[in-house]
Amino acid sequence: MKILALDTSGLVCTVAVTEDDRLLSEFSIQHKITHSELLLPMMEQIRDKISLDLDTVDAIAVCAGPGSFTGLRIGLATAKGLCLALEKPLIAVPTLDALAYNFYGSDCIICPMMDARRSQVYTGIYSFVPEKENDGQKEFTYKMKTVMEQAALSVEEIAEKLNSIGKKVILLGDGVPVYRDKLEKLLTVDYTCAPSHMNRQRAAALAELALIYLKKGKTVDTDSFSPEYLRASQAEREAAEKKKKNTASIDKDSVLIRDLKAEDITDAAQLEKASLNKEAWTEAQLLEASTRDDTVYLVAEKAGRIVGLCGVRNISGEGEVTNVSVAADCRNAGIAGRMLEILLLRAEKIGCRDFTLEVRAQNSPAIALYERLGFKSEGLRKGFYTEPADDAIIYWKRKTKDD
Amino acid sequence: MILNKQSNETITRRTDEDGVIFMSIKNDEEQHTSFLEDDVTILAIESSCDETAAAVVKNGREVLSNVISSQIALHTVFGGVVPEIASRKHVEKINTCVRTALAEAKLKLSDIDAIAVTYGPGLVGALLVGVSEAKALSFATGKPLVGVHHIEGHICANYIEYKELEPPFMCLVASGGHSHLVLVKDYGEYEIIGQTRDDAAGEAFDKVARAIGLGYPGGPKIDAAAREGNPDAIIFPRAKTTEKSYDFSFSGLKSAVLNYLNQAEMKGEEVNKNDVAASFQKAVVDVLTEHSIEAAKEYGCNKIAIAGGVASNTSLRERLSSECKKAGIDFYCPSPVLCTDNAAMIGAAGYYEFKKGVRSGMELNAVPNLPLGNRERKYHGRSSN
Repeated sequence: MKILALDTSGLVCTVAVTEDDRLLSEFSIQHKITHSELLLPMMEQIRDKISLDLDTVDAIAVCAGPGSFTGLRIGLATAKGLCLALEKPLIAVPTLDALAYNFYGSDCIICPMMDARRSQVYTGIYSFVPEKENDGQKEFTYKMKTVMEQAALSVEEIAEKLNSIGKKVILLGDGVPVYRDKLEKLLTVDYTCAPSHMNRQRAAALAELALIYLKKGKTVDTDSFSPEYLRASQAEREAAEKKKKNTASIDKDSVLIRDLKAEDITDAAQLEKASLNKEAWTEAQLLEASTRDDTVYLVAEKAGRIVGLCGVRNISGEGEVTNVSVAADCRNAGIAGRMLEILLLRAEKIGCRDFTLEVRAQNSPAIALYERLGFKSEGLRKGFYTEPADDAIIYWKRKTKDD
Repeated sequence: MILNKQSNETITRRTDEDGVIFMSIKNDEEQHTSFLEDDVTILAIESSCDETAAAVVKNGREVLSNVISSQIALHTVFGGVVPEIASRKHVEKINTCVRTALAEAKLKLSDIDAIAVTYGPGLVGALLVGVSEAKALSFATGKPLVGVHHIEGHICANYIEYKELEPPFMCLVASGGHSHLVLVKDYGEYEIIGQTRDDAAGEAFDKVARAIGLGYPGGPKIDAAAREGNPDAIIFPRAKTTEKSYDFSFSGLKSAVLNYLNQAEMKGEEVNKNDVAASFQKAVVDVLTEHSIEAAKEYGCNKIAIAGGVASNTSLRERLSSECKKAGIDFYCPSPVLCTDNAAMIGAAGYYEFKKGVRSGMELNAVPNLPLGNRERKYHGRSSN
C-alpha cells in the first residue's frame, strides 16, 4: 500500500512516500519556516523524481496536531485538497505519536516535546513493547505503547512524570533545545537528547504509523476533520478569564433574567443537554429559534453562568412554550417561576394570547409550577417521552374574558 | 429560503451545529447553457477573512454555483473577527464548500479548466487555508492555478451583475479593511486614484457602532439605526485630505463622533443613537460620493461601480445613484450578496487573469498586504506555463 505523508506542524517541512516496507522518497527541510512556499514544490519534486502516479496512492497521511496553529492548517488544508481531488482517505496521526515513532525499537522511554510557548511544551510519553504473532516464532515486532497521551504541560510537570516512571529517557523535538537547562535541573532520571537525524518530525515515520492506521481502517472524515490544537485561541482564553474575574465580583446569589444572546448559545445548549438529555435542543436549533421574530428566549444568569433557559414561540396567537430548563444545582429556588412569569409577559407583547406546553407526567415540581402559573391540564399523550418512558401532559393557559 | 426579489437570487441557508451559517446562492435568471470548446470554467476559493467560500464561474460572468460558509455569529461575541477562530473554521469547512460548489454546478473537478484562489490581502492564517487547498487541488489534478487579489475580486463582482459592463470605469471599493478609489483601465489593469490614509470605511463603521453600543458588525447595524435617525442632527467634519487628492481619512470623523459622545456623557445629556448613526453615515457617504464623482469626471469615466462590504450600505447606494444620475454617469452596484466576501467574484477576476496568461506556481504564498494592481511577478510565483 502506498502512502503520501506530509507534516508541517513544527519547524520541519517534511514529505514522504512509502510503499509497504519501502521508503520511496523522503524530503525534509528545516531552514526558515516558509512551509506554505515549500510544501507543494517539495511534493512536485518527489512526484517527478519517483515518477509517482498520484492515483496509485492509497491514502494521504497528515499530522493531527498539536503544533504550530498555522503550520497544522497548511498541512491539513493541503491534505484535504489532495483527498478531495484524488478521492483518497485521510489518515490523521497525533503529532507526538509520529515523533516518538522515530525511535521504533528503543528500550528507553521516549519523550517528544515541542515548544508550545508560554512556558509549556506539547508532549507525550511512549515506549516500545515487543510482540510476536505466535510464540513459536523468533521474529517479533515492536508495538508503540502510549504511556501518557499527548498534552500541553509545563516542563516541570513533564519532568515530574518522567521522574516518577524512573527509567532512562530519550528526549526529542524542538522543545528540547529550548528547555535543556531546565530539564537538566529537573530530571532525576538519566536521559539522552536525540541526534539530528532523529530529533524532529519525519514524514517517513508518520507514513509508517499511518500504514498501521490504514490497515485497521482508522481514517478520518476528509471534510469535517479539524486538528487537535490542545489549546483554545487567545481571544477565547482571554474571554474566559474575563468572565471568571467578572463573576467573582458580583453577588453570588443574585439571578438575572435576560434575553438569550448569541454568546450564550453554547452554555444554553449544554444546560439543555444536561437537564433534558435526548430531548435537548442543539446549538443550531437554539440559535435559529432565538433569532426569529416570533419567539422570545430568556436565560437566567447566576454569577456569570447560564443556569436557566426558557423560550416561547408564537404560532398565530398561541404561545408554545418550547423550552424550560434549570441547572440541577439551582432548582427549587424559584428560578423557573421567575423566568416563566417574565416570558409570558414578553410573549403577550408579540401577540400570544394563549399558552401551551407539554410536561412529563412524572415531573411533579414542574407540574406544580405550571398549575401555580394558571396552566390547566387538557390532555395526555401516552408514551410521548422515552428514556425514561413517560406520558406527556398537555397544559394550556387560556386567556379568559375576565383577563 | 429567502427570495431576494430585486436580483432574483434564491439563497438557501442552513445553520450548522457550531453556529456557522452555510449559504448557497442561486441566480434564478441564469440559464445553464451547454459548454462550448472555448468556454473557461473556473473553480474559485476565498478564505481571506471570516467567510469560507467556493464557486464555479463560467467565462468570468456566469455563476454556476456560489457557496458561502459564514462565521459571523462566532465573531459577534468578540466584537470583531478573531483571526485564529476564523482560520480554525476555514479548515473545517473548506472541503464541504468546494464539494458543494462542484455538486451545485453539476460538474466534476475534471471538468474545471483552472483553479482560482484569493492569496491576499487578508488575514494570513485565513488566506493560507484557501491557498493550501487550492494548490493541492491544482497539484493533484494538473489544472492551472491562478492567484487572485481579493479587492480585484470585489471589483469583478460587477462583471457578474452587469453582463454588459466593460472597462474602463471608476470603482469605489469600500469594505472593512479597504477604502480605495480605483480606475479600472482594462481587464486586470488597475490604477489606485485614492485610498484611505488611516481607517478603512468599514472599520470606521465598526468602531462607531461599538462606541454607540450597536455592536458588531457595525455596517448593517449603523445602516439600520440611521434609517430611524436624522442625518442632519449633528454636523460631523468631512475630512478633506488636501486639494486635488482623492484620498480618504476617516479617523478624524471617528474621533469627532467619540468626542461628541464623551461631551454628551459629561454633560449628562442623553444621546440619540439613531441621530448619531445617521449623521456619521452621512459624513462618510458624502466623502465617498464626492470623491467618486469628481474622480470619474477628472478621468473622463462615464461609469462608476462600487464594490466591497460597505457597498451594500443603502444610503451609499442611494446617494451615489442619484448623484451619478445628476452627473450623467452610469452607476453599477452589485447585489448585496455579491458585495460580501464570496468566491464567485474571485472566479470572475480569476477568469480575466487566466485569459491574460497569469499562472501561479506551487510556491504561491498568502500575502496579507498584497498591493492592488502592478503586482510584482514574485507574488505569483513561478509560472507553470
